[in-house]
Amino acid sequence: MIREKETTLYLGPQHPGITGNMMIKLKVQGDTVVSATTHVGYLHRAFEKLIERRNWLNAFTLLCRFCVPEPDPMELTYARAVEELDNREVPERAKYIRVIVMELARLQSFLLWYAGQAGSGGLYTMGQWSVGDRNYVLDLFEDLTGGRIYHMYIWPGGVRRDLPDGWTDKVLKTMDYLENRQKDYNQLMFDNTVFQKRAKGVGIIPKDKAVEWGVVGPPLRGTGIKSDVRIDEPYEIYDKLDFVVPTFEGGDIWARAMVRQEEFRQSISIIRQAIEKMPKGEYYNKVPNPMKWIVPEGQAWAKTESVRGEIGFYVASNGTNKPYRVHAKGAAYTHGVTVLEKVLPGQNIADVSFIMNSLGVCPPEIER
Amino acid sequence: MSFIDLKGLLQPLGALKQIGKKPHTIRFPYEKKDASDNYRGLHYNEINDCIGCGNCSTICPNAAIDMIDLLEVEGNAGDSGLRPRIDNGRCCWCALCVDVCPTGSLNLTKDYIYVTDDPNSFLWMPGVDNKEEGKDLISYTSDTTTSLSMYDRVPMRELEGKERVKSFAEVVLGYTEDEARAEAERCISCGLCTEACPEHMHIPEYINAIARGEDEDAVKIIYDNNPLPEMCGKVCTRRCEDVCALQVRGDAVAIRWLKRYATETAPTVEAIKEVVNPVIEEPNGLTVGIIGAGPAGLTAGYYLALKGYDVTIYEAQAHAGGMVMYGIPKYRFPLDSIDKQIEYMESIGVKINYNTRVGKDISFDDIYKNFDAVFIGIGLQKPWNIGIKNEDVPGVIPAIEYLKIINSGGSYDVGKKVAVIGGGNVAIDGARVSARFGAEVTILYRRRVKDMPADWEEIEGAEDEGVHIIPQAIPTRIIKNEKGRVKGIEYVMAKMLTQEGGGRPRPVAIEGSETIYECDTVIGAIGQQADFTWLPEKYKESVLIERGKIQVNNDRQTGDPKIFAGGDAVKFGNADAISAIADGFSAMKGIDKLLLKKK
Amino acid sequence: MTDLIKEQKLLENVTNPFKIKGRVIRNRRVEVFCDKETVSSVLLYAKTQLGYIHLAHMTCIDWIDENKFELIYTIWSPVEKVHLFVKTKIDRENPVMENIDKIWDQANTYEREMREMFGIEFPGLIGEHDFALEDWDEMPPMRKDFDTHQYAEQTYYNRPGREDAKDVRETLVERSGTEVPDFAKKYSRER
Repeated sequence: MIREKETTLYLGPQHPGITGNMMIKLKVQGDTVVSATTHVGYLHRAFEKLIERRNWLNAFTLLCRFCVPEPDPMELTYARAVEELDNREVPERAKYIRVIVMELARLQSFLLWYAGQAGSGGLYTMGQWSVGDRNYVLDLFEDLTGGRIYHMYIWPGGVRRDLPDGWTDKVLKTMDYLENRQKDYNQLMFDNTVFQKRAKGVGIIPKDKAVEWGVVGPPLRGTGIKSDVRIDEPYEIYDKLDFVVPTFEGGDIWARAMVRQEEFRQSISIIRQAIEKMPKGEYYNKVPNPMKWIVPEGQAWAKTESVRGEIGFYVASNGTNKPYRVHAKGAAYTHGVTVLEKVLPGQNIADVSFIMNSLGVCPPEIER
Repeated sequence: MSFIDLKGLLQPLGALKQIGKKPHTIRFPYEKKDASDNYRGLHYNEINDCIGCGNCSTICPNAAIDMIDLLEVEGNAGDSGLRPRIDNGRCCWCALCVDVCPTGSLNLTKDYIYVTDDPNSFLWMPGVDNKEEGKDLISYTSDTTTSLSMYDRVPMRELEGKERVKSFAEVVLGYTEDEARAEAERCISCGLCTEACPEHMHIPEYINAIARGEDEDAVKIIYDNNPLPEMCGKVCTRRCEDVCALQVRGDAVAIRWLKRYATETAPTVEAIKEVVNPVIEEPNGLTVGIIGAGPAGLTAGYYLALKGYDVTIYEAQAHAGGMVMYGIPKYRFPLDSIDKQIEYMESIGVKINYNTRVGKDISFDDIYKNFDAVFIGIGLQKPWNIGIKNEDVPGVIPAIEYLKIINSGGSYDVGKKVAVIGGGNVAIDGARVSARFGAEVTILYRRRVKDMPADWEEIEGAEDEGVHIIPQAIPTRIIKNEKGRVKGIEYVMAKMLTQEGGGRPRPVAIEGSETIYECDTVIGAIGQQADFTWLPEKYKESVLIERGKIQVNNDRQTGDPKIFAGGDAVKFGNADAISAIADGFSAMKGIDKLLLKKK
Repeated sequence: MTDLIKEQKLLENVTNPFKIKGRVIRNRRVEVFCDKETVSSVLLYAKTQLGYIHLAHMTCIDWIDENKFELIYTIWSPVEKVHLFVKTKIDRENPVMENIDKIWDQANTYEREMREMFGIEFPGLIGEHDFALEDWDEMPPMRKDFDTHQYAEQTYYNRPGREDAKDVRETLVERSGTEVPDFAKKYSRER
């Protein structure tokens, strides 16, 4: 057999698939990747450093911009870390609202993922549909928070505003709509032979290595390991809700897609349950004047299950009105660098961005 | 699965059924997408409601908000005259500015489309540049529950009304440390209060020091331009709180009580000295004579002594403190508080000659000759007459005389029923003191309760103690009994007549509404005037006295360059202690300027 | 919340073999403090013997007043469902820390970032020197003594047209003809 010449291919940094700007240096032989080295640094905005110069509440405007498809988990995780430091109780109603917001955020992010996953596999119609449907979820956010993408809504002590009148009815209607749309999505994507052929057996994460590699979220559940922060370390009111954490054997793109397909249904169910059980009452345990709010000295670690896996915030306070250190670790921090570098060798060049999307690589979150 | 999964290949064709369906998209600009009811779009600021506190500018995480001097808005006490201007190129529409706006003037609107090819036009002033179109589109607002401003004051603990009439124990108990921190945290540090304060104390700075738990620094900042903070912390008229940014929609920060708290952390003269650690300059050999040891004289004396002047104060009474000592009841300002402040001043080097009345024990000529500069801070000692019939009968007493007798430790029998005439703090003091002697007290006031110049806390305190207030009652005459003593007072009810030109409503007597209130004592509290009989005629040419007040320039200098004056008896006087302190402080600067050449 | 048996057990299991100090923070949170030489042994022991196989997080805090960097390794056991924080402090001058990417590969990413952002050297660390930054020759930027504001002022220019901005407090001070003494200024409103 003639050994094909090894060449170096630079993939990116202009959006290799719908992920964000990063670059992967691929060594390829023919169509096959031999080795991959990731390069981030195109989206570094020094958010963690900037947060240190702002007061505790001001951090929100930056946090939600860590990763475009997932502004809310960032806000929630930071808020929970700060609440732990400040010993701040959250009203029961706020916990329910937070869960609804989190699951809506999951839905809108899934819809964006549909677009990315299908789009990088050549199914462009899917993207047009799901991004269109995503706008119905964004409409809900707009009514609730006043913003569509960046909500700056969950903050220490609860949420910023109470639910507007009639909002929950609108949510339930949207849920019905999205549930019905699942049939169309299945037709177009999951039952589609082209998609199945491209997804099955591609980008495999071995089950025995997954936890050690730092794989989290749907990719981990796609290897058959049941792991979800919502059940491992229940926060807010997840322990009072009835939902299934789906797992799927295989560790390939297909398994991850199937996990997400089921999680989409679970999210809809969680939202319905939360709306039904939500109590009346306070929605916000008001923090003191934000300019003078001093959070007691200490360190706290909080983690949340985002769409792409666990997001953790390490927050340290030295007892002043500004955070001393805020460090965020999202799923992409491992998925987008070391896991990607391990998974890519042996794959086809055309599958690289397909795999990136299935791992939930989000460069702005890696470098923040 | 066979190589060709026909079903799977045909599945996507199901998408064709969507053909002909109405699209989800909106055909802009033929159709408009209306933003939601709390959409966070471009800003709108209600310019007339805005007070220019700059809180929006402080919280903005992107430094997108500048405070700009807007010519059409004139700054005054309670309004900085500045208004926010947004750099929309930096704004991220987080609406934190709306949530911290204490007045609620700043809002966001549904307007989210702003297209321009000039990058410099992103700077604009909400409410000025979108005056017409912005107002109707307001969407994201804050009210007192959603706002991040803290509108509720930490309540002050007080003795119960029934408990306190039993003695002259201090009514207000003071903040605890936690209460003070919580109250200090509410302050937004804008500094609007400093302009309303006659002395322009560094209010945001010392409150912030308290909020951060640095009480010693707070005391030090306070003493920078007020040597009598314990007094101000207890009885100040606190004009500052009237203009607090938070009082627009809630309770003003309890500036007075916070000052009180700070001074309580330095409870002894030694502690004050240690905390303030005053720098006393080398004696410069120059001398200043001060007439009257009231707040004005003491302030001038303290800061002059710090600057190395040899200061001597002449005080007619046995105690320093002036009106604060003799006019304010001890349940508001206890004797040991005054003593401590005076002792601290004396430890700095201020000399006070008590029981030395100028014009009697020492002549003004001597003082004028012996000192390089003279400061007059005599206050208003002579009460105005009520101006009704039989005012001179026994049982009628001016409030300040009454208070002076009680405060000097004397006694005065008010009998069982007392009528107090007037609506100022002195009237309330007279009433509350009488209540402490077990009398049934009624206040007669010409106007409505809300027109009373007294502090609302004082009015409430009096009512708690059982004092009865009859508003819109004009006294007409005093009724004598057969022994020639007071038997009662006759008054008529008044209706409030709105003045043309917007003046405050004037009370007009209702005919035939004469009522008699039987009482043993009538206390008149309708104001005081200065007494200048001690001042030799030859000085009155240069020391100009108009309408009972000494005329001075901004340095509190009279027509005679060597003579300065301050306090209630000069034209600046607002007849309160803090204004007197401000006068003393300004006069200190003026005297220092005058004598600089001689140094 | 009072039942912290497994946390106590974990604490004992980690502290006893290495003679190090630690405490149970709350449920699912245990921290141990050790010197920098012991860190890798503790981590390896926890990973291989105690089942703490998931490296959830690594971070560094610059305690400039103490002249120390604090390194925090957060590990997680999917079985016990407890977080173990392994904390150590190293000198801020010439900081060197043992490289643990042999224990967890993904530690490589964290270490590369720390090398760049804090200037901590990890001997034997593979990977390009530039992580998120490019051609950076200033002080490692996440150090507390790196002044972001000053850097921005020097590096970028402000769009003209905002020079007429005024400070509220200064305007009021000017108008009332007073002066805020220097020792009080640190309590004035931040801009």
